[in-house]
Amino acid sequence: MSMEDYDFLFKIVLIGNAGVGKTCLVRRFTQGLFPPGQGATIGVDFMIKTVEINGEKVKLQIWDTAGQERFRSITQSYYRSANALILTYDITCEESFRCLPEWLREIEQYASNKVITVLVGNKIDLAERREVSQQRAEEFSEAQDMYYLETSAKESDNVEKLFLDLACRLISEARQNTLVNNVSSPLPGEGKSISYLTCCNFN
Amino acid sequence: MADNLPTEFDVVIIGTGLPESILAAACSRSGQRVLHVDSRSYYGGNWASFSFSGLLSWLKECQENSDSKEETAAAWQDLIHETEEAIALCRKAETIQHTEVFCYASQNAEDSVHEIGALQKDASSVSDTLTEPLHSAEMPEERQSDITSNEIPVEQTPRSDSKVSLEESDTEESLDKEKYCGEKTCVHPVSDGDMVENKPTVEDSTSQPKRNTITYPQMVKESRGFNIDLVSKLLYSQGSLIDLLIKSNVSRYAEFKNVTRILAFREGKVEQVPCSRADVFNSKELTMIEKRMLMKFLTFCLDYEQHPDEYQDFQQCLFSEYLKTKKLTPNLRHFILHSIAMTSDSSCTLDGLKATKNFLQCLGRYGNTPFLFPLYGQGEIPQCFCRMCAVFGGIYCLRHKIQCLVVDKESGRCKAVIDHFGQRINANYFIVEDSYLSKETCSTVQYKQISRAVLITDQSILKTDSDQQISILIVPPVEPGACSVRVTELCSSTMTCIKGTYLVHLSCESSKTAREDLESVVKKLFTPFAETEVDEEELRKPRLLWALYFNMRDSSGVSRSSYCGLPCNVYVCSGPDSGLGSEHAVKLAETVFQEIFPSEEFCPPPPNPEDIIFDGDDKQPDVPGTSTVTVAKLESPEEGENLESPLQN
Repeated sequence: MSMEDYDFLFKIVLIGNAGVGKTCLVRRFTQGLFPPGQGATIGVDFMIKTVEINGEKVKLQIWDTAGQERFRSITQSYYRSANALILTYDITCEESFRCLPEWLREIEQYASNKVITVLVGNKIDLAERREVSQQRAEEFSEAQDMYYLETSAKESDNVEKLFLDLACRLISEARQNTLVNNVSSPLPGEGKSISYLTCCNFN
Repeated sequence: MADNLPTEFDVVIIGTGLPESILAAACSRSGQRVLHVDSRSYYGGNWASFSFSGLLSWLKECQENSDSKEETAAAWQDLIHETEEAIALCRKAETIQHTEVFCYASQNAEDSVHEIGALQKDASSVSDTLTEPLHSAEMPEERQSDITSNEIPVEQTPRSDSKVSLEESDTEESLDKEKYCGEKTCVHPVSDGDMVENKPTVEDSTSQPKRNTITYPQMVKESRGFNIDLVSKLLYSQGSLIDLLIKSNVSRYAEFKNVTRILAFREGKVEQVPCSRADVFNSKELTMIEKRMLMKFLTFCLDYEQHPDEYQDFQQCLFSEYLKTKKLTPNLRHFILHSIAMTSDSSCTLDGLKATKNFLQCLGRYGNTPFLFPLYGQGEIPQCFCRMCAVFGGIYCLRHKIQCLVVDKESGRCKAVIDHFGQRINANYFIVEDSYLSKETCSTVQYKQISRAVLITDQSILKTDSDQQISILIVPPVEPGACSVRVTELCSSTMTCIKGTYLVHLSCESSKTAREDLESVVKKLFTPFAETEVDEEELRKPRLLWALYFNMRDSSGVSRSSYCGLPCNVYVCSGPDSGLGSEHAVKLAETVFQEIFPSEEFCPPPPNPEDIIFDGDDKQPDVPGTSTVTVAKLESPEEGENLESPLQN
């Protein structure tokens, strides 16, 4: 990967119960597809999409759970160095909403405290089967100090908005951080991956 | 559980330590259906790392281990058919012994630097423990019980208010800091330990403990700022683990930092070992002549095989004796023997030269020392391999106990396992971490032990301009024949300890309990916190805030044949060994993999996610219920080109 073709690179990580549509959201956004009845995505670690915001190229690296959420066995290292988390539930599935506090506990334990979290209620195309009201979700997200958005990966409702809004916020956070420049607390991603370590001094 | 576990696999792997995790990644990568389970609630087994509270819970669990035996589940006996037999697995591993905890940091949340008086009151009682070393342990043990009671509310804080409370605490902290700063400027202009020492110490005792003070409640509150490894290891930058991480692309899940310093302990003093060319030339400790001697010798070691005449006559001699013949000063001999070759006094010349060469080769690949350390601790590495396994379809289940292996009497092969739900899970191959094997299976096995200490301290053992150093220090044994002790000191930017603290790991092969083996070294390097009558020398030492000793079982030397009655398709992985690198685990994983799948490549690079294009998405309509596997195709296989760089020389 060449270093010059973007101004910002952010790692976005999806979490939430199995079957709430995490992978569909990613694929809708990155490829414009909605694969119905899709099974496991074998061999795909993360997806990339580069977007342009106010003339700046922003590369989004979007990570999926690789199925480890199925039996509540996500590795801590999955959360490390994420700039943003998209916590997803299914508006037609009460259970997926009720698990949110558990997910928040994981986030608090393992993610950077500077991480931006967005709560997403997916599958609004199935409004007639809704089990979680918008108001309840809004109250919850407010109490937790999270942004909230309802989406449909199938109808492509709010999917672009979700990622683009997030990118905007990440950019402004990144700007603030470089201004504040607090030295001794490393930002996520401050350590070097092996490949970066080799290709000389990037800091 | 809403979702049912599938019951047909190719490989079932029990335990998530490093070798099992590497194997999981390798099997899954080569297309096998993998189930990877661990009875614990965390990844890594004895390779795990913990937050501070997590470590305290782990300790509690270790202590409960020995006394409480769980009810024996008989449920699975009925599930075994007539043509089968069962090999019961162990319910709880007992690989950790002799845990001892000492807390020196102030227990009082209100204590901060500005309350020197209060601190010193506290100190008088603790200071007894020092003069009469650490092991008058009644009080620390009392404190230990405090620990557990302290820690529970923290862990169980419901998330709903925790965010809020976190913010509150932030402001509290900054207030504290302000107070502290104010205090600092009016009472005493310099609070930095370094500077205090450089001044002649004429001030009265109140000005002395002016170091930044981390209290016990603070460590508990900022618990997740700690990632405390159970093993004490580093990565050799030319070692097999780094090679595997790069080759398999698992390296993308982790981040690393260079170890910045190699230290030596000689004549009661810690000093930095110059090991790169630049270090040698910049060294203030070495004389010009010493610099030349050292460079000459190191240059020779890099290709010693080319100069057999230089060492031929000494091949069977001790390396230490050989070094004497090379006209090296005692200083340099110490550096080479203990800090560069890291060999014992009894190593022969050839081993010493080989080790020195290896060190020099690793040097400069990524930095000024031959070692790397993973951010957030060594415990990340097994998880990274697990992620790779999952990406290729492996199924993960923590908190999942396997009760027994089911062996087919006729073929003698293991055909299934039965889990704690009584569910039978079929597979062709089974890989088991050895702590899951029962006492009967291991009845003839002899184990070694590793002695470990984990310390949280307030300063570096060798202070420099930067407080963000990662150091390794070998302390040679006092008596000949004993083991040297390996000390690694991690700073807060490794994400393993909170700001204002250092995390120090000590490790050696056990001869006694961990405390008996390591305490003398701890006392040489550190002084317990809150001492009142400090002499100057003690003041210079970093202070201990918290200390833990434990022994870990080392099963790395156990051969497969010493386990009784295991079917041939059950493979055993050992726990961590005492070595500095993880070469043993990598080798073990590769050997087992090749035994099972002789014709398969071990962890080949996966397609680069940025080069994947998707095929067939709208071609066939998906039949509901069938799981379609997305076809990932590699567009341009140019990965890994920037990985090797000619940094060497």
